[in-house]
Amino acid sequence: MAYEMIVLTNMLIAILFAQSLNLITGFCGQVSLGHAAFLGIGAYTSAMLTKAGWPLAATFIPAMVIAGMIGMIVGAASLRVRHDFLAITTMGVSFLFTGIIRKQDMLGGEMGIAGIPAAYGGRVGLLLMTLCLTILFIIIMIYVKRSWMGYVFESIAEDEDTAGVLGIDVRRFKLFAFVLGTAGAGLAGALYAHQVRFIGPDSFGFVESVTVLSMVIVGGIGSIWGVTIAAALLSVMPQFFQVIDDYKLLVYGMLLFFAMRFMPDGLGGLAKRFRQNRNPDSSSERSQA
Amino acid sequence: MTAAKTSPLLLDVKNVTVTFGGLNAVDGARLALEDNQLLGFIGPNGAGKTTLMRAIIGMLTPSSGQIILDGQDISNRRLVDRINLGMALAQQIIKPLKDMTLLDNVALAAGGNKLLSPIKAMIHRSRQHEQDIAHGLLTEVGLADAIYKYPAELPLGFLKRLEVARALARQPKVLLLDEPLAGLSIKEAEDMADLIMGLPCKGRGVILIEHNLSQVRRICKTLYVQNNGRPLAFGATDDVLEKREVQMAYLGKSE
Amino acid sequence: MLAIDILIQGFIQGSIYALIALGLTLVYGLLRILHVAHASLFTLGGYLGVLITNATGSLFLALILAMITVGFVGMLSYRILYRPLLSQPPLIALIASIGIFIASEEIFRIIFGPFSISYVSAPLQNQIEILPGISMSEARIMVVVLAFVLLLGVNWLSRRTRLGIATRATVIDPDMAMSSGVNVDVIRYSIFFIGSAFAAAAGVMVSLLNNLVEPTMGAVPSYKALAIIVLGGLGSVRGALIASLLLGIIETFGTIYLDDLLDRDSIAFAFLILVLMIRPKGIFSKG
Repeated sequence: MAYEMIVLTNMLIAILFAQSLNLITGFCGQVSLGHAAFLGIGAYTSAMLTKAGWPLAATFIPAMVIAGMIGMIVGAASLRVRHDFLAITTMGVSFLFTGIIRKQDMLGGEMGIAGIPAAYGGRVGLLLMTLCLTILFIIIMIYVKRSWMGYVFESIAEDEDTAGVLGIDVRRFKLFAFVLGTAGAGLAGALYAHQVRFIGPDSFGFVESVTVLSMVIVGGIGSIWGVTIAAALLSVMPQFFQVIDDYKLLVYGMLLFFAMRFMPDGLGGLAKRFRQNRNPDSSSERSQA
Repeated sequence: MTAAKTSPLLLDVKNVTVTFGGLNAVDGARLALEDNQLLGFIGPNGAGKTTLMRAIIGMLTPSSGQIILDGQDISNRRLVDRINLGMALAQQIIKPLKDMTLLDNVALAAGGNKLLSPIKAMIHRSRQHEQDIAHGLLTEVGLADAIYKYPAELPLGFLKRLEVARALARQPKVLLLDEPLAGLSIKEAEDMADLIMGLPCKGRGVILIEHNLSQVRRICKTLYVQNNGRPLAFGATDDVLEKREVQMAYLGKSE
Repeated sequence: MLAIDILIQGFIQGSIYALIALGLTLVYGLLRILHVAHASLFTLGGYLGVLITNATGSLFLALILAMITVGFVGMLSYRILYRPLLSQPPLIALIASIGIFIASEEIFRIIFGPFSISYVSAPLQNQIEILPGISMSEARIMVVVLAFVLLLGVNWLSRRTRLGIATRATVIDPDMAMSSGVNVDVIRYSIFFIGSAFAAAAGVMVSLLNNLVEPTMGAVPSYKALAIIVLGGLGSVRGALIASLLLGIIETFGTIYLDDLLDRDSIAFAFLILVLMIRPKGIFSKG
């Protein structure tokens, strides 16, 4: 039972984490290759606080606020760059984060932080807490998507310049997406730290950032259900691959490649194609643009 | 809006110069737009028409000069501020949002404050009010039958009208139309020109950049001509087209 | 350490970066794709260098064979990886490329084993005094010389040969080039060949400097080379070369003076972010 609970909790954390990036990359169209840094900020914040005696639930707000604040700074910086430059800048953020953490003795440096206290209620308590928060976040995402915010995000994701000509304050909305998304990652980080109970710089490196981005893209950019399913699958996949442990990364890497090659719109896009049954002309035009 | 009446001009462009890498693409442009006026803006290819239009709306920063919108100096304002102070642009290269119906394309532009404040955008869900406005505007431009269609399903002529409807949804004081007739058939161009003729009204002036001289002559009473980035003539259509320098500028070019 | 020592060290590092970045920036210029898997070719080059040298005893032969083989593998990577994805948004190709890169590290581990491999007898380890009081190993001199020769070679190619001129025309305006009879696909294959061969050369050089190769040796150069081509203003060859040298030098100084704050690999990115904030399209972008 304990093993299943760990797998389930991991899965839920991955979903929460992936949805937080879905807000930035999926809804608002801003690529981030450094999202794991914000998972890390939340994890470190929360771990330091619970080690100082705070209850886990009380660390959620600080973890979100600090991740969101740093997210705002990164977001403000990212406003200056676009497209590929944005991808590389956010990749830089990822390396910068681990680089800085490694040199901070206060945060455990290379060694990381061990002995993070267990959550109230142990594994069951953490699982329930994670379940509630993940569901809550998904509800918020659904709400955002249907509100004017989702409407505006959709236009920014498709064409920033046109959105600007329509009178949308593109910068403010992008910044808002960064703050919300990174705060969400901070929350996921707080849960993650108390799930694994040991964190180090390597838990939040570039590969983790790529992993979460691939969850969003395999799920289908902007699709809430697609990303949920992709995050669930990709997060448990390493457990299945235990059998073929030696080839884990090989399979994972090839999976990413084949997903992009044969399913560039992701699971969400696949579902959409079945549902809408649009004529093939319009869909081929879309992919060319 | 009584304060606005102190200035009779909706838009006053004073000596605007735009420089690209040492070259003056627009050099000392001067034009004025009155309330309820349709101003034609013509010039041969490469005259810097679109560049000036982009400088007016704020997509480019002029190196010198002033732009006054309804008595307020907006020279240093960002694009989004200018749009929200009452300008709108229908772009030459139409850019509909492909994943939305025409109705939603237009309704978005009617969003008002919700386009400026993320908080307001998050609080509001209903698009009913904006869709009603959009429905009215799409009817006005003759697209009432296509409101639930996606842009990919429609020909260029329809999308040009969509572009105009979207600009109108901003309820602009100054509406800039960048070559709305380009690429249309003769019949379509004629219909579009008729539509444009009806756009100026109390509180709204329209600037029409256009290559199609016969339609411009038909619908605009006032013309501004630019050549090689410099203002060439400004005044009543018939007088302007009589001028030697204007005819010279167009001579040798087709039309 | 003397400032001049640091400078030389930085210059060597920069030469290696330049060899890697050249292929990346050419690919970007041509296809607008961030070719992360380029680093796999760098690693492959390193392995071939060590293995062929150990088998034949000739480093020179190993270098040539590594460059040619990896050049062909590069062409293959274009064929199976990027060509089918050209009509997709660039992000799709980027993720696919990252996937291939992750998989390739594992393939190297499976084929060559998880541990590092060294030269049986490391070539070019004699010290030569290049300036009074400053001596360098032959291997290091070789790195700088080889980088210079190869980069001058590519410069000559691009200016004096039909292929080079066609390539430059294609980078500037693909449609125009195609309509004037340039076979764009041939250009792309050639660019992948040359860029990959250069990455292989860099791999051999690194294997020589460290006297070892390992499956993960491509990770850091791969991301850093991306930073370099961005610094240089994506797609600009000259920009990428200058940025490579600059970064090599800054990093070497940084590891000495900033060691308490940042590790070596994040200095590059700190510098990158700083530059992008001031010039959002790289140092050498126009306007």
